Amino acid sequence: MPVGLPEFVENPENRCPVVLLLDTSSSMSGQPIQELCRGVGVFKEDVLRDTKASLSVEVAIVSFGPVELIQDFVTVDQLTPPKLEADGYTPMGEAVEYAIDLLDGRKEVYKTNGIQYYRPWIFLITDGAPTDVWQNAAQRIREGEAEGKFAFFAVAVEGADLATLKQLVPLERPPVLLNGLDFQSLFVWLSASMKRVSSGKVGEVLALPPVGWGQITT
Amino acid sequence: MGWKAVARSAIGTGHQKQGLPCQDYGGDRIFNHLLIGAVADGAGSAQYADLGAKLAVTTAIAHLASTEIWLRQRQRSWQKLQQPFSQRQAERLFVSTLKRVLYVFRQQADRGGYTISELACTLIAFMVTPYWIAAMQIGDGSIVVRSQFRKEYQLLFKPDKGEYFNQTTFVTSSNAFADLRVQVLAQQPKFICAATDGIERVAFRLQDWTPGQPFFKWLEEYMQETENPQTEDECLIRLLESQELNRQTDDDKTLLLCLYN
Repeated sequence: MPVGLPEFVENPENRCPVVLLLDTSSSMSGQPIQELCRGVGVFKEDVLRDTKASLSVEVAIVSFGPVELIQDFVTVDQLTPPKLEADGYTPMGEAVEYAIDLLDGRKEVYKTNGIQYYRPWIFLITDGAPTDVWQNAAQRIREGEAEGKFAFFAVAVEGADLATLKQLVPLERPPVLLNGLDFQSLFVWLSASMKRVSSGKVGEVLALPPVGWGQITT
Repeated sequence: MGWKAVARSAIGTGHQKQGLPCQDYGGDRIFNHLLIGAVADGAGSAQYADLGAKLAVTTAIAHLASTEIWLRQRQRSWQKLQQPFSQRQAERLFVSTLKRVLYVFRQQADRGGYTISELACTLIAFMVTPYWIAAMQIGDGSIVVRSQFRKEYQLLFKPDKGEYFNQTTFVTSSNAFADLRVQVLAQQPKFICAATDGIERVAFRLQDWTPGQPFFKWLEEYMQETENPQTEDECLIRLLESQELNRQTDDDKTLLLCLYN
């Protein structure tokens, strides 16, 4: 009888990509931007507590405006919470399209390297209204959602143009209005959700934790 | 001379934490030189996935066995067939197997007052003689074969993955018949390993689905050296329940091992 265990094949971890799409227009300056940065730090710490999630969850950070890749995809342990500066307009449409392209590129990297991955998330946080043309972005979000290419979440900070946001996001997942500046609870929720996604079972319909940090706007 | 086989499942740590039962099942039936085997992985989203997996395996095996029994009553047998049957014949046989599984599912669901999707599971089933293997697969999981005169282990069907890690097709899916894959291999099968997807991370190089030669060699040696694998199964159970394996997956795991001696 053979002894011990057979030699296992070593494969890379499955990936669970998420793009944080952060509004850094001038209206976010002061306390909002500070709380947002702190929230990203909380997210990192919380994901790191889960061994499997910390190896799987990959984060990229895109700020707007202007649209800038602050952090390309890294696993959470490699993530340095960014120092964001709020200054500029709100080119939300451009930012959304940038994020979708970024994800497409990442999927190609996964495919080339034989890495399995979960449905990616795009997580938009804004307190404003788009200052650019956003209709094309809205269409790409809806198409991408319908084809299951990604899940798009919009979080509105007080002052956000909810009417426009609602037109931007898919009907079945309306924007959530953040309670005050409670970015910490928001990012703890995002971390908890990512932990669930990264331990998902075959074919399982994912139940997300309840949203305790905001109001779902319908 | 004849086949020996063993099927064992172990619950995934994820299901254990959630208080769910093991939703995998595997089984086999041996008629001297003919072996019929099946494994199934119940869908996490289905309420009676454990029952579905068990019903699918037992129904598929019983259905395939009934064809052998029918032949025997006419002094014929699958095992006398040295030339494998054609791809078309195999497709007909496995389409009828799937129909039978769905029929039994419908009866079960009607009795329980739920829809058949609550029994959703993947299914791998095969018939193998010393001359050929005919196999079917719906959804993920794997069948690896080593032929008598070859060194390499070959994967019959590349796992049927959706774009994402946690997607697949089930016997109850609307596209089950379209996604049913059938293959006949006439290469004197010596060793077969059918498994649910719980073991794939450690058994295959996922980049191109190459079977890990040392992994399958170990399983074959275990079968080689085990007189009666049904009773001497500690080795296999130790593997399925090992921390080393559970570190790589929190899913249920099933192995059905068959060796011709």
